[in-house]
Amino acid sequence: MKKRFAVKFTGQSGQGINTLGEILAKGIKNSGYNIFASREYPSIIKGGYAAYQIDFSDEEVLASSKYSHILASLAEEALHKYTPFVNPKGIIVHSLKDFQFSKEESKYIEENKIQVVHIDTKQIALDNKAPEIMANVVLLGYIWKLLDLDIKIIEKLLRKIFAKKNIDMDAEIRCLMAGYNIDKPKDFSIDKSQLKIKRNWNKSKVLTGNDAIGLGAISAGCRTYFGYPMTPSTTILEMLGNTYKETGMLVKQAESEITAAQLVMGSMYMGTRAFTATSGGGFDLMTETLSCAGMTETPFVVVLGQRSGSGTGVPTWTGAGDLNVALGAGHGEFPRCVIATSDVKDSYELIQKAFNIADVYQIPVIVLTEKQNAESMFNISNLSKPLKIERGLRSGKNRYEITESGISPRWIPESAKPTYLVNSDEHSEDGISTEDPQTITEMNEKRMRKLLTLRKELPEPVYYGPKDAETVFIGMGTTKNAVLDAVKETDKKIGYLHYQYIYPLKFEKILEIYEEGSRVILIENNQSGEFGNLVKRECNFEFPEKLLKFDSRPFFVEDILDFLEK
Amino acid sequence: MALKIEDYNTNVRNTWCPGCGNFGIHMALKQALVDLKKTPSDIVLTFDIGCNGNGVDDIEGFRFKGLHGRSIPLAVGAHLANRKMTVISDIGDGGLLHEGVDHLIHAIRSNYDITLLIHNNQNFALTTGQATSTTKEEKPMYAFPDGKAEGSINIGELVLSLNPTFFARGYSGEPQQLADIIKEGIKHKGFSVIEIMQVCPTYTPESNHEWFKERIKETERKATISEAVKCVKDMDIIYTGVIYQNKNLLDYYSRLENRKGKKTELVNEVKNIDIKGILNIFE
Ligand SMILES: Cc1ncc(C[n+]2csc(CCOP(=O)(O)OP(=O)(O)O)c2C)c(N)n1
Ligand SMILES: [Mg+2]
Repeated sequence: MKKRFAVKFTGQSGQGINTLGEILAKGIKNSGYNIFASREYPSIIKGGYAAYQIDFSDEEVLASSKYSHILASLAEEALHKYTPFVNPKGIIVHSLKDFQFSKEESKYIEENKIQVVHIDTKQIALDNKAPEIMANVVLLGYIWKLLDLDIKIIEKLLRKIFAKKNIDMDAEIRCLMAGYNIDKPKDFSIDKSQLKIKRNWNKSKVLTGNDAIGLGAISAGCRTYFGYPMTPSTTILEMLGNTYKETGMLVKQAESEITAAQLVMGSMYMGTRAFTATSGGGFDLMTETLSCAGMTETPFVVVLGQRSGSGTGVPTWTGAGDLNVALGAGHGEFPRCVIATSDVKDSYELIQKAFNIADVYQIPVIVLTEKQNAESMFNISNLSKPLKIERGLRSGKNRYEITESGISPRWIPESAKPTYLVNSDEHSEDGISTEDPQTITEMNEKRMRKLLTLRKELPEPVYYGPKDAETVFIGMGTTKNAVLDAVKETDKKIGYLHYQYIYPLKFEKILEIYEEGSRVILIENNQSGEFGNLVKRECNFEFPEKLLKFDSRPFFVEDILDFLEK
Repeated sequence: MALKIEDYNTNVRNTWCPGCGNFGIHMALKQALVDLKKTPSDIVLTFDIGCNGNGVDDIEGFRFKGLHGRSIPLAVGAHLANRKMTVISDIGDGGLLHEGVDHLIHAIRSNYDITLLIHNNQNFALTTGQATSTTKEEKPMYAFPDGKAEGSINIGELVLSLNPTFFARGYSGEPQQLADIIKEGIKHKGFSVIEIMQVCPTYTPESNHEWFKERIKETERKATISEAVKCVKDMDIIYTGVIYQNKNLLDYYSRLENRKGKKTELVNEVKNIDIKGILNIFE
């Protein structure tokens, strides 16, 4: 690929890969480049292998490439695993004594002119009077040398990030320098001459999708978060918990997702803003509350962080196979809104929008994210201004008054305000339970009318690409990122129609693009093409071509390029 | 105008069986609220699903009839959002011990400042008389002509095993005493668990008013949990009154470091909040 590079850092989980990955990512960013960093790790605490890949360029980077230019490894299994994904003329650096590549690996290395360097990082750490565990920092120093970047930048960062930890900082720096002072092979270089250094990038922020969701919620005046740990949503709890002093937010770990959902509903009913985040299994437990919020017309916001698979699935890997459950969860028929995020920019914005929709329409809003967005690091120079808060509060005679828009008056329960009954039994306008067939029909119609009102007010999908694109991909979530990155690597005229507001669906743009004669391709990170099925259901349009991936891996840039070559 | 019981009445026709213990419970609850000078708009009541929950139509206040077993977490969510409101959670023995027993356990250890009214009529009444954990073991019940094959749960014992800050027991046939207990519960700053022995003339007719009258005995607060446990374990006498109270433990919200000294409630704080101050951790 022309204008981007990738460096991968791997080791056993427990060897500090995440921390070093973060330092590396921020270090490259602070050197004036745009980065995207993604994590791969197993669902265990120690052992197994973890990897951090940082892709960088002078243009925006949103997705990972399958192949890296530098592979650095502290662990045997990881080295075997990732060797076949090193670029031709790339370099492998490892710290493993007597490591043997397999026959095929050796062949791959030779054919692709890949260099292999062994560094005894442990010994170097010990020689520098540092504990063995700091071997990883020696490797970090050497990677920095290979990248040929300013050592001061990484040193400063190391000091900042490790400042909070109780460690021997001088030893860390000695290890960093020792790694950096090793000569790099003469014939290896990362040719950054094509890349322009952008001054403003070093001031920009490095956020994960989950950070952006947390920040968006804070901006939106959300005052309480109820969670229960589940990858890939757990770090929302972490981020909000670690900033709770600054924000004053009430952050609570509930006894279950059932409870978290009820706490959200109770708090929203009382008139504050609350949300919860989970993954598929936890979301399943919340579905009774989703249905109850639908019937009682209580605002409700839940972030559904997708990983892959049914059951426990593949807990720490990515996918987008939970659209169906988002659309269908909960018994009975009730209006809902489903939104999909793809990167930090829209995660920050869409969570705010979710609160406004939930409040104004008095419906549950499900905000989809994916591990690939939730836990990956993006850099962003500026977050947009906070969205204006819209609550739609107004008083009235009856809490469930039948209106043309379907939206009834709602006011905050407070002393000296008129009291009312919120009822999960079917009820008449005053909230009192009813079994009268006509009232039941009217109330059902009233609630569902909110969907029509909402659909009219939702923004259209976002189109990226030239007006006269030959090929247009259509999808939601992080598939956008791989396509947009791939577009930069080809001369073909490619477009992407990006859906953020999934339901109620605005399908007209799809039909328009198709009728204009473009080649239209559905792209999804799931097996059955769930978004495509929704489109079919809503407007009877069948996608002529589909690019589906469901191996728990995100779309890599090469996946898109290979598909276009076929 | 002085607050009256009638201010808590509604004009919706009640659906309980004649002689149902829920009448006495609501009478006591309304009396307690009036005595405490709480107007209906000061009160948030969450209701479970069951005969107890059908009482939602019978009382004024901000009311939320939610899902079976979930009355407690719904009430907690409401309470945390605005502690100026008096929050009362209503639930049956079925909803409490079966569908949502985890919520009871965690609410006790969290010591949220709300009051829990347990309508213990010793069966799933609204679904027409199935056995619960408080049904007598030998008693034939819906679909189980020889009685349940499972053991029982003594609510007082369960609650007291979790280091609660307030446990009381009342009886639906003694609404005046029950009103006093409820008042104590509402005044208590913490999670107040009130078990109400409730007559169910339809499904547990053998435990009628006479049966209870013979066994019920008022008691004083116990100084220690172990004394309180001894008292609730008694099978021959059903002791009522505030059985245990500990005023020395802080409620959940008061333990939140970041809310200390805050004058506003979460409901008053919904506005755009500047994130600049925390953005530097992402550089
Ligand atoms: C999730 C769920 N499961 C089952 C029911 C059916 N259901 C309604 S009331 C009830 C039992 C109520 O028993 P209890 O909580 O003791 O209240 P009571 O009617 O005795 O006052 C059941 C099982 C339901 N509404 N929701
Ligand atoms: Mg019962």
